[in-house]
Amino acid sequence: MVPLESGLSISLHLSEDRVERVEITSNRPVQASAMLDGRPPAQMLALLPTLYSLCGTAQGLAGLEAVENAAGIAAPAAQRMARHVLCLVEVLAEHAASVLRDWPVLLGEAMDPAAVKPLRPLVAATRKALYPAGDWTAPGGGRLAPDRRALDEILRRFDEILSRLFAGPPEERLDGYADFHAWVAHGDSVATRLLRRLDGEGIASFGRTAPCMMPEAGPHDLDRRLAGDCGGSYRSHPQCDGRVFETGPLSRHPRHPLLAALAARHGNGLSTRFTARLVEMATALRELEDLVQDLCDDSGGLAMGRTDGTGLGQVDAARGLLAHRVELREGLLQAYRILAPTEWNFHPQGPLALGLMGASGLDLEWRTALLAASLDPCVPYRIQVTGHA
Amino acid sequence: MCMAVPSRITAIDNGIATVEAFGASRTTSLMLLEDEVAVGDYIILGPGGSFAAEKVDPETAAEALAYLTEVLATGQA
Repeated sequence: MVPLESGLSISLHLSEDRVERVEITSNRPVQASAMLDGRPPAQMLALLPTLYSLCGTAQGLAGLEAVENAAGIAAPAAQRMARHVLCLVEVLAEHAASVLRDWPVLLGEAMDPAAVKPLRPLVAATRKALYPAGDWTAPGGGRLAPDRRALDEILRRFDEILSRLFAGPPEERLDGYADFHAWVAHGDSVATRLLRRLDGEGIASFGRTAPCMMPEAGPHDLDRRLAGDCGGSYRSHPQCDGRVFETGPLSRHPRHPLLAALAARHGNGLSTRFTARLVEMATALRELEDLVQDLCDDSGGLAMGRTDGTGLGQVDAARGLLAHRVELREGLLQAYRILAPTEWNFHPQGPLALGLMGASGLDLEWRTALLAASLDPCVPYRIQVTGHA
Repeated sequence: MCMAVPSRITAIDNGIATVEAFGASRTTSLMLLEDEVAVGDYIILGPGGSFAAEKVDPETAAEALAYLTEVLATGQA
C-alpha cells in the first residue's frame, strides 16, 4: 500500500465457534488535515476534492461550509441550492457505483464496467454545468450559471441507470412492501439477486443491532468535541454521551414506509441496510429533478465578514455524516479537523462490531464482508477470523 | 478516511497501468476510467487500488503531492 492510503482490519475472535470479540483497527490518517493549517482558505478548499477524491464533492462542501461559518459569510439561497445539487449527485453516483461495482463481487458475479464507467464523470459534469468557471469551492460563492440542458441530460442519464436497476420507475418497487417483495422475488438485477440471496440464505437480519442512529442534526456536542480534539482520539473513535451512532442511508430515512416495514421484519440487518441505499438513490434523483427546476444564476464572491472565528460544516455524504471544523486566525486556517462517517460505522463499539458479536457459521467471512459492504466504508478492508474450532 | 494519492503512469499494457507514487510501484486496471490516459499522466485510484478512478491534471497532482509530502514528512499519517 502506498503511504497515506489507509485501510481497515476487521478481526473476529471466536470462542466455541461464536464471535466473542471483534477487533477493528485502522491506519486512517485522521491527523493529516492539520497540515492544512496556515493556508489561505480558498487554496485549501480548491485542494480538498483532490485529496479526498472518493467523496470529493462532500469534502469540498463540508470545508466550504466550515470556512464560511468561521468567516461570517451567509451564502445566498441560490448557492446553497446548487451546492445541495452537487452533494446529491455525488451521493447518487457513489451509491450507484457501490451497487453496480461492489454488489456483483459479493455475489461472485462479474461486474459490468460499462455500467460503472459513466458514474464519476457525471459528478464532474454537474460541477461544470453549475459552475462553468470551476470555482464551486470558492468561499462566498462561485460564479453560478446553471446550464439547464446539461443538467437535464445528467439527470436523464441517472434516470436511465435507475430504471435499468429497478426495471422501471424506482417508486413502483420501493413505495410499498408488497411491490418490493414481488420485485425482489422475480427481478433480474444485481440488487434483486443480492436481496433474494439474503432471503434464501436466511441472513436478511444478519448484523441486526439495537438501533442507535445518527440524529438528523448530528451529535449535539460535535463542535465542542472537535474543538477539543487536539490529539485526534475523538476523530479516531467518536462517541456521543457513550453512544456510537450508525450513520448513512438508513439513519437518514427513518420514516420511509418500506424501510419501516423491513425493519419490523429484519431490524437494521443486511436487507434493511442494503435497501436503504436503494431508497436513497430513488429519493435523491426525485429531489434533484425538483431542485434543478428552481436553480438560478448568482454572481457569488461575497467577502469574508471577519478574519477570525470558528466554523463547523456538516454534509450528508454518501456514507454518512461528514464534518469539518476550522478556526480562522487573521484569515488563515488553524486547527483543521475532519470527522468521516467511517469512524462511526466502523468504530470498535459501532454497528459493524456489535452486529458481528455472537455470530457463528462456516461462511462468517462472507457475511462479515456483506455487513461491511452494507455500511460501505470509504477505505478498503481485510477480514480475519481466528480461533476456529 | 479516503485520502487519495495522485499516481503517475509509468507503463500501460492491455488496459492495466503500472503507476508510481512516493517510490512505490503497483498496477491498476483502467477498466472503469472514462478518460483516455497515457504514460506520464496522473490518476487517482479507487479504494484498494484495483481500479483507476479519475485522471488528474498535472498541476493539481503536483499541488496535492506537495501537500501529501508535507504530511508524510511531519509524520501526521
